[in-house]
Amino acid sequence: MVEIGVLALRLALIGGLYAVLAAIFGAQMRRPALVRSSRQAAYAVHALVAAAALVLWHALITRDFSLEYVASYSSSTLALPYRIAALWGGQAGSLLFWVLILTTMSTVVHLQNRERNEALMPYVTATLMTIAAFFLALLVFITGPFERLPVPATEGADLNPLLQNYWMMIHPPSLYLGYVGCSVPFAFAIAALATGRLGDVWIRTTRRWTLFAWFFLSVGNLLGARWAYEELGWGGYWAWDPVENAAFMPWLVCTAFLHSVMIQEKKNMLKMWNMVLVLLTFCLTIFGTFLTRSGIVSSVHSFTQSGLGPFFVAFLLAIIAIVVVLVTMRRELLRGENEIDSFLSREAAFLFNNLLFVGIAFATFWGTIFPVISEAVRGIKITVGPPFFNKVNTPLGLALLFMTGIGPVIAWRRASARNLRRSFTVPLLLGFVTGIAIFASGWRNYYAVVCFSLSAFVLATIFMEFYRGTRARQALMGETPARALSNLVGKNRRRYGGYVIHVGVVMVFIGVAASSAFRLEEQETIKKGAVVNVGAFELTYKDIHFTDGAHYSSMLAEIEVKKNGTFVETMFPEKRFYKKQQQPTTEVALRSTLIEDLYLVLGSYDDASGLMTLIVFVNPLVNWIWIGGLVLVLGTVIVMSPTAAEQRALAAALAVEERGLEAALR
Amino acid sequence: MKNATQSQIEESLTCQCGCGLTVHSCNHVQCPSGIPLKAEIAEQLAAGKNSTEILTYFSIKYGEKILSSPTTTGFNLVAWVTPFAVVLGAAVLIIVASRRWRRPIAPAVPVGTPSAGDDARRSRLNAELDRFDA
Repeated sequence: MVEIGVLALRLALIGGLYAVLAAIFGAQMRRPALVRSSRQAAYAVHALVAAAALVLWHALITRDFSLEYVASYSSSTLALPYRIAALWGGQAGSLLFWVLILTTMSTVVHLQNRERNEALMPYVTATLMTIAAFFLALLVFITGPFERLPVPATEGADLNPLLQNYWMMIHPPSLYLGYVGCSVPFAFAIAALATGRLGDVWIRTTRRWTLFAWFFLSVGNLLGARWAYEELGWGGYWAWDPVENAAFMPWLVCTAFLHSVMIQEKKNMLKMWNMVLVLLTFCLTIFGTFLTRSGIVSSVHSFTQSGLGPFFVAFLLAIIAIVVVLVTMRRELLRGENEIDSFLSREAAFLFNNLLFVGIAFATFWGTIFPVISEAVRGIKITVGPPFFNKVNTPLGLALLFMTGIGPVIAWRRASARNLRRSFTVPLLLGFVTGIAIFASGWRNYYAVVCFSLSAFVLATIFMEFYRGTRARQALMGETPARALSNLVGKNRRRYGGYVIHVGVVMVFIGVAASSAFRLEEQETIKKGAVVNVGAFELTYKDIHFTDGAHYSSMLAEIEVKKNGTFVETMFPEKRFYKKQQQPTTEVALRSTLIEDLYLVLGSYDDASGLMTLIVFVNPLVNWIWIGGLVLVLGTVIVMSPTAAEQRALAAALAVEERGLEAALR
Repeated sequence: MKNATQSQIEESLTCQCGCGLTVHSCNHVQCPSGIPLKAEIAEQLAAGKNSTEILTYFSIKYGEKILSSPTTTGFNLVAWVTPFAVVLGAAVLIIVASRRWRRPIAPAVPVGTPSAGDDARRSRLNAELDRFDA
């Protein structure tokens, strides 16, 4: 069985390399049969990789401890869902999982484009298969998932206990879908550069893929935050860890692209810039993988560290070299019709929005690699931790929040005084009133006050857009308010779906600001019967319970919770001790409401003295981060659902390009 | 109950256990780094030192890497200044470039390439699509 896996990976590598060569030669020498054959090879690579993944899953599920990977990342007592998740719990498995997602996407792309984009597709095939071949080469030559142990183990070392959490079942796959999803727009960008077909087609063809990748990057980041919040037990959800940054940077650049591409579609501006953003997003996904696996900077994600760093650097440099050559060759074709009439225009607003997105990405990149720079220049290791990122990125983030209110509403070309008054008077007033009200009620964290104030401003602009649009439809079409609203959104899904996403983002901003600025925390070492007061909460330590299972032992503190003197709940913060890895983990007890989270951590317990350390956090409005995430999901679904107008636009763009090609051939 | 200065200093120091968090955030059970460091901060405060003195004490004793963010002196200033300098520099570039963009420019697309002859048609198409979308 295992031999099938080994063979499948080797054949997949050969198939991938063949697909690259056949696609390029087929396109260059105009041999359709060769191009067709490259496409078949790409399907075969997918099938072979899927077979290898199934073999590894089978070994994990059946506990085949003769395999080094299975013995290292699972155990006989590990529950089935985590044995399945162990596929991405270790180095080799996660690379296999990566290439499985990549080849699955490759198949979908090839099926979608069976009858279209004939000129672009060979280069798309070649690019996707080059990436697949790189990962497959690592799996075949460097870190094989099917290595056998000299003597089969009787028991496995178990999956890292921190990963034994249900969010871990979905956080890595989501992030991988996002990371790998960026390969598709990248492949089309390379194909557009290689063929010189830099019109609208590649952008319109990849729009949904870019959104798909962006969506999973967003969800992956939020799920990672949720995992950290529940599993790491330090009361927060984001620590600017290098690996968190690695996932955040491509998201930022991808978001910049999703905005600036609208300028290209509407105004034919910024062609070069958009190309650079797509290419940069992909490079950042590879850079992120390098950061995670190289151990160049210390990280909480060190469980994936290995010696693969140099290979990723080499791959990244090769990609950058190819990209630079291609972009330089095509720079004339990438010249857009850049024209800006006024700084008070949507074009300018989008430019500044892009500047801020890329600026935050740069600041994050800079902070992440600065320890390496410092060591190279001064020979001194320094730390660039959360305080740096918070100080640098908060003002940039707030400026971006402001632009979220301006960009979608301000007029194209040149905003008239009337347009500005009509769009912004009420929202600005509302923003000011909110700020003053919060300040007057005694909240003195300036960043938070500004954030709430800007949030009110942005929400007001969005509300007014919905309100005016609905009213206009009611007046023009005589529709009921509900029907007018649903038609308004249904007929302009990109625009109004985008607004819904903005609402979600504002909720995330509110949640982050409130929970960072107004968090209460308390740590007390107490005996049974003692009471801890935090804010409105009164916590009584009632008892401690012990359980012992085959997989882990655990102790749970029984805490009676009263709020403003009224009993609300008994909570059980838990400490687990995973036996095989000899590692304790924190299982937070959480009471989540829309107003605040009560977050209890059992710090430690001393049997001899009966003293228990209880750590308490009261995190205001933190739930709005996750709710904002759900709203963002809803908005993305609206944006992604195709409209007839959009499909006509793609068909028209394809037709224009085909005619252009015919004209060029004549 | 911890006082604000203790928490602030804990936030300014990085736990050395490898968790990547600040001393304040690290909650590892019996953390070999975080717990002694917290005690040491308390001792220093009890000895009557202020935050700056205490942070200097720690960076001399454990090396600069214990500080959770770069200092604002010497080469470390580069860490703080660069992000803002880059953003401001890029903003200036945008302003300069867009001044140039304000002048009407002649189409600079070479003739004979697939997309060249279609620019006019495409902008017409885009305009029509815009009208359609609106």
